[in-house]
Amino acid sequence: MAERRGPVTPVSRWATLSRWPLGWGLAAFTAVVGLGLGSLGALLWQARGLHPAMLWEEPWLAAVLRFTLWQASLSTLLSIGLAVPVALALARRPRFPGRHLLLRAMELSLVIPSLIALFGLVAVHGRRGWAAPLRDWLGALPEDYLYGLSGIVLAHVFYNLPLAARLMLQALEEAPAAQWRLAGQLGLTRVALWRALEWPRLAPLVPRLAALVFTLCFTSFAIVMTLGGGPNSSTLEVALYQAMKFDHDLALAALLALTQLTICLSLWLLALSRGGTPRLAVSGRPGRPPGRWWRRDAGGLSRFTDSLWLAGLAALLLPPLVAVLVAGIVGLPELPQGASLAPAALRSLVMALGAGLGALALAVALLAGSQWLRASRRPFEALVMEGGGQLILVIPALVLGTGLFLLLRPRLGSGWEGYALVVLVNAFMALPFAMQVVRGALPGLSAPEQRLADQFGVRGRARVRWLIWPRLRRPLALALAYAMTLSLGDFSVIALFGSPSAPTLPMLLFQQLGGYRWQGAAATAMLLLALVALVFALLDRLTRRPPRHAWTFLPPRERRDARLS
Amino acid sequence: MLDCHDLTFHYRRCDPGETPDFCFTFALPPGECLAVEGPSGSGKSTLLALLAGFLEPGGGRLTWRGRDLLGLPPWERGITTVFQDHNLFDHLPVWINVGLGLAPDMKLSREQQARIREGLAEVGLAGLHDRLPGELSGGQRQRVALLRALLRGSPLLLLDEPFTGLDEATRQGLWALVRRQKAAGVAVLLVSHDRDDIEALADRRCRLDSGRLV
Repeated sequence: MAERRGPVTPVSRWATLSRWPLGWGLAAFTAVVGLGLGSLGALLWQARGLHPAMLWEEPWLAAVLRFTLWQASLSTLLSIGLAVPVALALARRPRFPGRHLLLRAMELSLVIPSLIALFGLVAVHGRRGWAAPLRDWLGALPEDYLYGLSGIVLAHVFYNLPLAARLMLQALEEAPAAQWRLAGQLGLTRVALWRALEWPRLAPLVPRLAALVFTLCFTSFAIVMTLGGGPNSSTLEVALYQAMKFDHDLALAALLALTQLTICLSLWLLALSRGGTPRLAVSGRPGRPPGRWWRRDAGGLSRFTDSLWLAGLAALLLPPLVAVLVAGIVGLPELPQGASLAPAALRSLVMALGAGLGALALAVALLAGSQWLRASRRPFEALVMEGGGQLILVIPALVLGTGLFLLLRPRLGSGWEGYALVVLVNAFMALPFAMQVVRGALPGLSAPEQRLADQFGVRGRARVRWLIWPRLRRPLALALAYAMTLSLGDFSVIALFGSPSAPTLPMLLFQQLGGYRWQGAAATAMLLLALVALVFALLDRLTRRPPRHAWTFLPPRERRDARLS
Repeated sequence: MLDCHDLTFHYRRCDPGETPDFCFTFALPPGECLAVEGPSGSGKSTLLALLAGFLEPGGGRLTWRGRDLLGLPPWERGITTVFQDHNLFDHLPVWINVGLGLAPDMKLSREQQARIREGLAEVGLAGLHDRLPGELSGGQRQRVALLRALLRGSPLLLLDEPFTGLDEATRQGLWALVRRQKAAGVAVLLVSHDRDDIEALADRRCRLDSGRLV
């Protein structure tokens, strides 16, 4: 008898593949890749007369390039290197007082706009911050350690260590419970557990995670603008901004953008050539700890070292977040006095909604198209379509913005057109993150479910209503929330194309921080944070599973009784 | 009568004249239960998937009361399959899982709702209508799947080892449900490893050997 090569129930032969997903996918792919490559083309065209040798012949440019690489490498090394023991400690200790709070703080630091985080960091680590007495007592740190390389790296670690540790923890928690049980039963030692269970889970994640963190640090704008900015601590992104905004030197901007792109792209190609296809988005569902089975490596010295790592994480994360809340509460009386606050908040919200919906529509279209291609047995084309959305990850926001600006320059006036461009760029920038969140849920039905649906004739609208939408609505809401949050906190693109007289909340916050208006800045930061929380809370509420009484089919009287009880 | 004649299937493309991997011939009259035994990989699930319309046969004939089934999609064949597992949609409560079997668009009439309610009570699941499958035991899940199959009223019931791993009392309850269906004229094809299941339900038995029913 011939050997079976596939499952008995492959993709249903009765499922007629509508061509709509392919059409939408192709349209989105054309838009994303076209605008992405178009903006790059515009830059290349502009850079025709440039000499790349400027990068090492011009001393200031060489210094900027060196510093950018150095700070990004250091931040990546520290973020990933420290995230490993933190994630292992969190996985090893599924229950301890404050674990939930720590995880929530880690997730908050993923979505908090960078200027708010900076506000908190300044409040804690600034010259007269909360940590000043400790710093003076230790005497080992300079008074202004928050500024320059050390401050930039600290801020990057504040941002990226929780991201890396959370994703690593997720990877560890996704290991089947049976494996942890088996490890407990065999009494595996710390080293054996690392080799048999932990490292195999982390290894596929690390290359892409490192590439992601490096790209984020390499292209970081608001942090470097605030904590660096001098000639000794400027990055390519800031130099690009200055070339565009102040020197109007488009040729230099093009050279910087291309340099940035070449470095990020090379790194991503390297990362993509290794490891599997790990998820680079934190799941919306709370992580399920591996269980309470006895772990041989949980006792002894690791009790002490784990406490140390977790206390260190708490010391890094919690004070700045608490400082934002405290300063915000103190600054609350300022809220009604800030005449520019309400319009700025409205502007931010409208733009975030536009960018969020745009990112979501592009993400769904690309993923649906790619899924259609996969179902039609064209895996390579599917990969290309999905990769189109991820391409944006290696094109920094300012590069995209600059390219689009160059493309649209003859027509691009001021005012709302500039804001429309910001919405467009923000939608593109949020696309890879939205795709990561939606990707896991979009395949929809498993083979056995498809078999059941076919058997009962659950097709068309009924299939979407009962079988696909219930699984999609939460990831879609989470993706929209992430995309909106990224746009709400955007400072790089808006700084380039926005108008100081009609600021968004991050712009206003930057203006207030620059003008040492701390009370106003605190109120603005608080409002921005509240908007982020509101977006998440609202979308969470709107897409929660229906209450059980809404699903019951009891007669009206019994239903009323059930509700009352 | 279900008439299956030289229904063939290949796992890979094969040349004309080459012997197919599977070739099934049998007949099953209404109200009868035919048990199919065979070791793992002998093609039991393939047979059920071909009958239900999940796989496309290479050739042959499949009719029910003279009506050709091969050109029909699964939902028009009048066949319901109960699998060993994965019978329910995990994100939907019990009553919707059952309801989808009666009305694929979930536009249930009052009468259908009443039938579901009564059916759930009859199989000992009263009060569990709004539970999710993950909140039920394995036996309860199988009872839901079997109830749905029974309420659909298909003239053909395919059982793919649906009693595996269940305790004795649950199995006996499920056997009683199947026997009732047989008595009502439903033809049952049972695939099982378990002699007790076969002895309790089967009127005839055959064995799958090298892709052929013997």
